[in-house]
Amino acid sequence: MRLEPYLEFAKKAFAREATYRMEVLTEIGALVLRVYILRSLWTALYAQNAAPINLPLHGMITYATVAMLMSLVLEVDGTRLIREKIREGTIATDLMKPISLPLYFFSDGIGQTLLHALLVVPSLFCALALVHIDVPPPPTIVAFAVSFAVGYGVNFFVNFLMNSIAFWTLETFAAQLIVRWASDLLSGQIIPLTLFPGIVGRIVFGLPFAAIYSTPLLIYVGVIPSSQWAAAIALQVGWLAVFALIASAVWRAASNRIVIQGG
Amino acid sequence: MLRAYLQYWRINFLTLLEYRANFVMWFVFSIAYHGVALGALYVTMRQFPSMNGWNFREVFFLYALWMNGHELHNTVFFTVVSVPDYVREGRFDRFLVRPLDTLFQVLTVPQQIVPDSLVLAIATLAVATAAERVRIDWVFVVFVPLVVVGGALIDLGISLAIATVSFWFVRVDTLRWAVMSLEQDFTRYPISIYTRGVRIVLTFVFPFAFMNYFPATYFLQKNDTGLHFNPAIGLLTPAIGFAWVAAAYAFWLVGLRHYQGTGS
Repeated sequence: MRLEPYLEFAKKAFAREATYRMEVLTEIGALVLRVYILRSLWTALYAQNAAPINLPLHGMITYATVAMLMSLVLEVDGTRLIREKIREGTIATDLMKPISLPLYFFSDGIGQTLLHALLVVPSLFCALALVHIDVPPPPTIVAFAVSFAVGYGVNFFVNFLMNSIAFWTLETFAAQLIVRWASDLLSGQIIPLTLFPGIVGRIVFGLPFAAIYSTPLLIYVGVIPSSQWAAAIALQVGWLAVFALIASAVWRAASNRIVIQGG
Repeated sequence: MLRAYLQYWRINFLTLLEYRANFVMWFVFSIAYHGVALGALYVTMRQFPSMNGWNFREVFFLYALWMNGHELHNTVFFTVVSVPDYVREGRFDRFLVRPLDTLFQVLTVPQQIVPDSLVLAIATLAVATAAERVRIDWVFVVFVPLVVVGGALIDLGISLAIATVSFWFVRVDTLRWAVMSLEQDFTRYPISIYTRGVRIVLTFVFPFAFMNYFPATYFLQKNDTGLHFNPAIGLLTPAIGFAWVAAAYAFWLVGLRHYQGTGS
């Protein structure tokens, strides 16, 4: 299989996103304000209550800030194209092209992601003016990067599946947003999953959403010690494999369906 | 003009009765949205029971009060939020050639109203009031609706200002989204958690603190530890709302004079 076309798709997506410079600035501004809100919130909460044992204030602020920066990358959804293409009917001609469509969506997403990853750099500097974030030793950074990459994959397949529902019904918007919001809470993006009590806590850690934000972040702030890195990342890879399998099965079923409808 | 406006709402209401299934779907949708926000707050405050002297039930009441003003705005004034879209698609020019006030025409664009969020907001406020055993006297009965209307007007001022900005800069989607989500984030907590400068901005520049913080401080009989005002200042919300909309309307009129259209 040749990879050049997919590189080209990624470059196209990058250039397309880069044209909206005003939007980019607004996004950074909003992010900085949100970091400020989170700093104020956690500072106030830690000032008046007993701190959780494994997460002191600076760890919590680091968690919240890094989660925010990760969301710049993870909230990009390249597979949204699936729904648009189905609605407009262009998916039929796309399926005839000699390319792998899922891979096309992936490269489009990567292109957008790269632009947003570049956004992370200026945002990081602005955020650092407001908050001090912990920088862990290099091995932890590497483990975080690996875990983040696997989480990115899980996130891609979850989005892919949600958008593929459009092959069966176009009324996917509400369902998709509900999953997105539930995932914001259950993935550990808004608050660390360690705050969930008892049995609820064990359930949220057992859900696949935890593989997206929670695992990389808990590695970063040191709640997951180096002795458990392998197990934590292995669980993420497990979820990645499960979702990849479901996604490919759904894609096959969906492509057949298009062919039948096109008759 | 008032007669026409009432008629417009009668038609909206009748259309709503036609599409009851839609209503249920959007209702579930709203529950999920606010459920996530309140769920995160609940889990956090189980671990950290005091937020600058506010417990979870009080913060819940704070949220419910904001939710009512915001959802009233979203239900009644939603077409103002769509003005940037009308401008971009060139549909706005139509309003300018008709012999009726432009804002009035914007407010009466035919649309399908689904007041699911407003119904949910009222229910949430009732639950929050009961859970916190807020004292219900005549001041509460008279002023809660007024505070909600005032809150909706504060939101309307923001929407009008963003609509006006779109006369100059056509693409304001991100700005609109950023302002709305930041409003929600800033109003979720008592303003006393912020630094002094931000408290002043939230009171005097973008008066979001009047949507919920000051009225909630009054109704919950708490002290304002943010700016040390008399909590009764919270009853000024309707007046602040009117003043804020008046200022935004003046800006809107200036914008209209400069409006050039996109040529599309």
